[in-house]
Order: sequence, then structure tokens, then C-alpha cells
Amino acid sequence: MSIASMAGTQHVVSPLMRESLMDRGVLARTETTVRHILPHLNVVQIGGLSIIDRGQSAVMPLLDEIVANQAEHTQVIGVGPGVRARHILSVGLDLGLPTGALATLAAKSSAQNAYMVSCLLASQGFVYLEAPFVVQLLPAMLAAARGAVFNGIPPYDLWEHPPAFGKIPPHGSDAGSYLVGEVFGARSVILIKDVDGVYSADPKTHPEATFIPDIRAADLMAMQLETLPLEPVVLELLTRSKLVKSIRVINGLVRGNLTKALAGEDEVGTVIRA
Amino acid sequence: MSNAVTNSMLTALGKRLVSGSLSDASIMRATADTPDFAILPWANVVKIGGQSIMDRGRAALMPVVDEIVANLTRHKMILGTGAGTRARHIYSLAIDLGLPVGVLTVLGTAVAWQNAQMLQYLLARHGIAFLEPEGFPMLPHYLMERGAVICQGMPPYKLWEQNPDIGRIPPQRTDTGCFLIAEAHGARKMIYVKDEDGLFTADPKKDKHATFIPRISVQELLAKDLNDLVVERAVLEMMLNARQIREIQFVNGLKPGQLTAALDGEPVGTIIYNADAAPGRTI
Repeated sequence: MSIASMAGTQHVVSPLMRESLMDRGVLARTETTVRHILPHLNVVQIGGLSIIDRGQSAVMPLLDEIVANQAEHTQVIGVGPGVRARHILSVGLDLGLPTGALATLAAKSSAQNAYMVSCLLASQGFVYLEAPFVVQLLPAMLAAARGAVFNGIPPYDLWEHPPAFGKIPPHGSDAGSYLVGEVFGARSVILIKDVDGVYSADPKTHPEATFIPDIRAADLMAMQLETLPLEPVVLELLTRSKLVKSIRVINGLVRGNLTKALAGEDEVGTVIRA
Repeated sequence: MSNAVTNSMLTALGKRLVSGSLSDASIMRATADTPDFAILPWANVVKIGGQSIMDRGRAALMPVVDEIVANLTRHKMILGTGAGTRARHIYSLAIDLGLPVGVLTVLGTAVAWQNAQMLQYLLARHGIAFLEPEGFPMLPHYLMERGAVICQGMPPYKLWEQNPDIGRIPPQRTDTGCFLIAEAHGARKMIYVKDEDGLFTADPKKDKHATFIPRISVQELLAKDLNDLVVERAVLEMMLNARQIREIQFVNGLKPGQLTAALDGEPVGTIIYNADAAPGRTI
């Protein structure tokens, strides 16, 4: 490897030197195999509104189930924000704040929930990791500690993408947890909600809704459902996944569901495939 | 315990947000009708290209630095840096090693950071600070006191960067990071300083019949479905959804005066604009 000076620019010699990184042909040549950094990892995302905001009756049995499975299945726990994020989104929207500011504010609500979960799991050897520590320390922490809890909302902050409709930050804790699973090449990504999975309509308001046990992300996007139990952006991300080829949405209010999902049993929740 | 906020102080939209699903398409659409507050409407985001300016060293960079200094008392500037040739080297190496996109973003961010730090050494005597994303609440203070502030151009996505449609290179890099700084702050201008006069119908270095495009809509540019672009594709896609930034401008940093002209509001270089009506109302 060496330094080359061409047309006034001092280059480091590399296959991408002087190429346009916007050129589709150049980009296509970079398509090669990706390594699984932590292939035994399971990313478990706990919903904010669906689980945490319900308090002890919903949270404690679920945490017990996480602990009971940790020896066999290494889990890292993402946590969502819940109703306080809805409140600050409401106030922020009323004030005219942009999506990036709303994302920065909402992320603090899920950080609070993640910190609470880490306190409840502290005696079991779980630690709370902020985003910079996920980058630097997650593998070491999993070797040293029994598990880790992180803020489900990705650290996009002011740099959150403007959404296609309206101003609500599109990347919430479902997206953040999926992305953690994808980058580490995790064994599974499990989203824990308060519904059994994906239905053709919201089962809380539409009793005639039918259950969808297994579906491809592209097919689910094509159905254009008015409401989903997960962030729609996760479906888009799945269509571009390299390593995590499916996610599972399960009901965390039913004991045993997480255990079944970790064991890879097919009859629990909804599987969404890349 | 669920849905514990039942406060009559909430707006009508707020009540729907608290009780409904955020993935509900009708709620998302309803938030489109809220006003847009510009946080720093007088700030100009200026991106200094990595390969196009920084990697050229003194001959290209010092005239740009001089021009920035001359504008310190005239325009408030958020100066973002690109990454350039060292990023291309480490992307090549990391792809060969089988590392995922999120790891490439962490690595590329370090290169944009190096360029930001170099630029800050050159501007330090004028009191210019370098802020990392965590320091952004200090941004207005530095802009008002010193006229400019430096940041690294990469968005702080770290391991959470998303896979691209094609290949393994992080799709959101320094063009996108700077654009999002401008959008989030409701900035006055988004100016990209590169080593070309702007956009041409073909590569002017290879095709002598290539003609210059002074102004084009983002819709028209995307419809051309070009294989190569002057700016990251993500910027064009985000322009369609952006509520505050209506146009971006590309100037040639190798030609003294172009940056100043763009800051002064002159139509120098190429402007890519959004032809659709602005979605919101500014307050």
C-alpha cells in the first residue's frame, strides 16, 4: 500500500481510490460476504407502551423469563420509550420542532426505561450500555457480565431521517434493536409486544382481524395495513438485510412465549422474513 | 398503569399520539399539519469535500480557509468535513475482512473526524471550535460568538447505520450528515464545496460535449436515474421528505469567490431544488 499523487489529490492506494462512491457499478463491486461478529447473540426488544408502561405485573414475569433463559441463550435487551415519548412528541410537535429534535428528545424516554430495566436485572449481572459503549464494549461486557441492556432507539438524534409523512421520527426502538442484531449478525431478533403478533387489522379494535403467523417483509409492506405492531421502517430494513433474515414479534404478556421464541419454536408470534 | 397520561392539557393530536399506535398511518399523516420552527434560520451549513478538497492539501484547502475567514463576520457557518481517500482505503480493507456496514460507518467517521480536526487546527487562531455531535447544544453560542463552528460530516449512526440497496458502503455519509444538520436546524443554506463547477450532463473530464446544469429539480434529477451522482443518493431522497431545506448548492472550492458568492445568495455553481410545494408552514 502506498500514497499516490494524482491530479493534485494525495491518494491512499485502494480499490476505491478516485472512484465515485455514488456510482452504482462501483457499489455493486463491493457486494461480498459479511461476517457474523456475535453469531450467538439474541436481541430482545421490550416494548415501551406495550410492556414497560404496564409496570410490575407485565415487566417482572418477563424479566424472570429473560433471566431463566440467559444461561442457554445470550440475550441483549433493547427497551422502548412508551407514553412519555408520546407526550414529548405531542408538546414538541405543537412547538414546531423538527424531526431531528423530536428524535433527540424521545430517545431520552427510552434511555430511562432501559436504565430501569438494567436496575431490575442488576442483581443478575446485567449492565446498561449507552450507544458509545455498545460500539466499544458490548462483546467484552458479554464475556464479563451476564447480559446487557441498551436504549432501543438508535443514536440518530438530530440526524434522524425526515419521514415520508409528517414529522414523527421513523426509527424507534424496533428499528434500533433490529439494527443491533443485523450489525452483530445475531442469531435472532425478537420484538416483545402486548399482542400475539401481526394481524390483518388492530385486534384491539377489530375483533374480526385475522392472525398472520409467517410473512415476508415485502408482502407485508404491499398489504399497506393502516396499523402494525412494529415500526414500518423495520420492514424496509429487513428487505436490505445481509445477516438477520427474519424477526419475530411475540406477546410478552403470555408466559413462555419468549422461551419458545428463543428455542426457535415456530408456533409463537409472527415471523417476518427478509 | 398503561396510558397513564390522560391530561386535558394535551392537544387533540397529542391525545391521539398518547393513545394510538405510532405506526398508524393516519396519525403519521396528521403530524404533517403541525408548524415548522427553524432552530437556526441564519446558519449556513458548508460541507468541505474530503477527496475533492481536503486530500489536495494546502494548494486547495488554504484558499478555502482564507475565504471562510473572510466571511466570518458576514455569515454564520457550520463547517462539516468529508472523509475522502483514507475512508476509501479503510472501506476496501473492511469489506475484504467481511465487516458489516455499521462497522464501516464507525471507521469512516474517524476519517471525517481527522479532517475536521485538521480544519480546526487551521482555523483555531480565529477562535473556531470543533464540536462533536454530543456538543451540539453549544453550537448557537459558538456561531454567535465566532461566526463559525466545525463538525465532522458523518451522521452519528455508528453501528446503527443501515445497509444500502447496493453493495456494502454506508449509504448515509458526509453529504447526508451535513444535509441533516441543515434540515434539523432549519438552516439558511446548504452549500457543498467540491472540486467541480457543479453538475454536468456527463463527466466533463471525459466528455467535451458535456454541458453545465446550473439549476435542476431533485425530482427531475432522480427521474434521470443516473448511475452516478454529484451527491449521495440519500440526500436526494431525503430532500423529497425535508420540510425546511428546499435547495442545496454545489460550488467549486478550487475557484476563489464561489463559496462567498453562494453565501451571498448568488446562483453560482449548481442548485438542486425541490419542485414540490413546501409541506408545512414555518413559524
